[in-house]
Amino acid sequence: MESATSAVAETTARPEAMRIGVTTAVFAAAGVLLAVGLLAAFWWAPTDASAMGFSQKILYFHAPIAWCGLLSFGVAFVAGILYLRRQDAKYDLLGVAAVRLGLLFSGLVMATGMIWGKAAWGVFWAWEPRLTTFLIACLLYAGYFVLRSTVEEESRRATYAALFAIIAFVDVPITFFATRLLPEGLHPVVIRPTGTGMVAADAVALFVSMAGMTLLLVGMLRVELGIETLREELHYLKNRLGR
Amino acid sequence: MSLGMRQYRAMVRKDIIAELRTKEMVVSMFLFVVLAMIVFHYAFTVRGSVRLSLLTGGMLWVVFVFGALLGLNRSFVHEKDEGCLDGLLLCPVDRVTIFLAKTTANLVFLAIIQLLAVPVFLLFFSTSDVVSNLPGLLAVVVVADIGITTLGTLLATISMNTRSRDLLLPIIFLPLIIPLLIAAASGTAKVFNGDAGLSSLLGVLTFLVVYDAVFLVLAYGTYDFAIGE
Repeated sequence: MESATSAVAETTARPEAMRIGVTTAVFAAAGVLLAVGLLAAFWWAPTDASAMGFSQKILYFHAPIAWCGLLSFGVAFVAGILYLRRQDAKYDLLGVAAVRLGLLFSGLVMATGMIWGKAAWGVFWAWEPRLTTFLIACLLYAGYFVLRSTVEEESRRATYAALFAIIAFVDVPITFFATRLLPEGLHPVVIRPTGTGMVAADAVALFVSMAGMTLLLVGMLRVELGIETLREELHYLKNRLGR
Repeated sequence: MSLGMRQYRAMVRKDIIAELRTKEMVVSMFLFVVLAMIVFHYAFTVRGSVRLSLLTGGMLWVVFVFGALLGLNRSFVHEKDEGCLDGLLLCPVDRVTIFLAKTTANLVFLAIIQLLAVPVFLLFFSTSDVVSNLPGLLAVVVVADIGITTLGTLLATISMNTRSRDLLLPIIFLPLIIPLLIAAASGTAKVFNGDAGLSSLLGVLTFLVVYDAVFLVLAYGTYDFAIGE
């Protein structure tokens, strides 16, 4: 509890207006980049010549979301290591925020992937390595919240959550390779070691969208972290009133 | 023999003696495994249309993983309820030694179940010549077992300290064990379909060894935190 309150005090002591200002700026930049990315994707990048045709446009949305999902789990992994090393409650809060957003983005990856799958393969769901990987990741990280809800004591809850975020993140690439052991891969591989197979306009649209989505994630992480910090503070104040 | 080694052996012996006295873990795991096979038989033979031998690899590993879950859940319950774990933690023993001893004991119990269950399984389901492919099957089973018990013991330690214990373990254990299950089931299917020399299992075995190594290292680095003060 001590470390949690000190984290709360430290965060609220920071100039609130500046924090909100930075977050707003991040969101504004994300909005501009995402808008530019979308415009480039629809008006500048040529329509795909292969059988995919217009449905390929979802790539500019789908791939950045997938990247952000994995990045978010990566943040939780790093936060987990930092928590175990320093036992500072703010890393626990960061871990919660990151896993929550990772789950959100993974859900969106599956949703956009299924929409595209319906257009390209004719079915919403195929037991395809990447789709399956994200489904497993979603179930895995849902376990993170189940784990948190079953531990009462705060420091122990934070330790176990950090441990689990580390273990789960190590598993994500393994799952990725395991599902690939199976032969039936339908998912197109865009970025290969031999090059992207895209023209310049495609690449620019994709990478602008990626940058925009990443900034969106950063902004959302800041907001989530703020909410978690306030929740801790509320919890602390309630406890004090209760006494 | 070094001190750590002596401590490790003493702890493994303790677990095995405790199990020999009651036999409750091994007996219930074995009964579960056989019952699950019967369930599979009736679930998968709809009007006798399916060739079950094609599914044997997957069935075997589903049975093993859920059987192992039963055992893993039990393995810390006694320690916790009888206060044995507190005693263990008070001893001047390295936490990692506790982990290795627990993992070894769980591995032994799982192996005993498999030794009993595989012949029954072959009797029920297999038509192919497994005996000539025995080295391949054995290799896959041993390497996969190490992975199951390493990850399982680490997660069972965590779940034992939570409110919902045996409810939590499957939820966090199963998604993490899926990669191993995929590899082990595909390797075993090869063995049962008779096209498995050790060389054709190389990919699967390498993957399983890497998986084991990753979680052994991870457990080594984090077990202090998992078992608590």
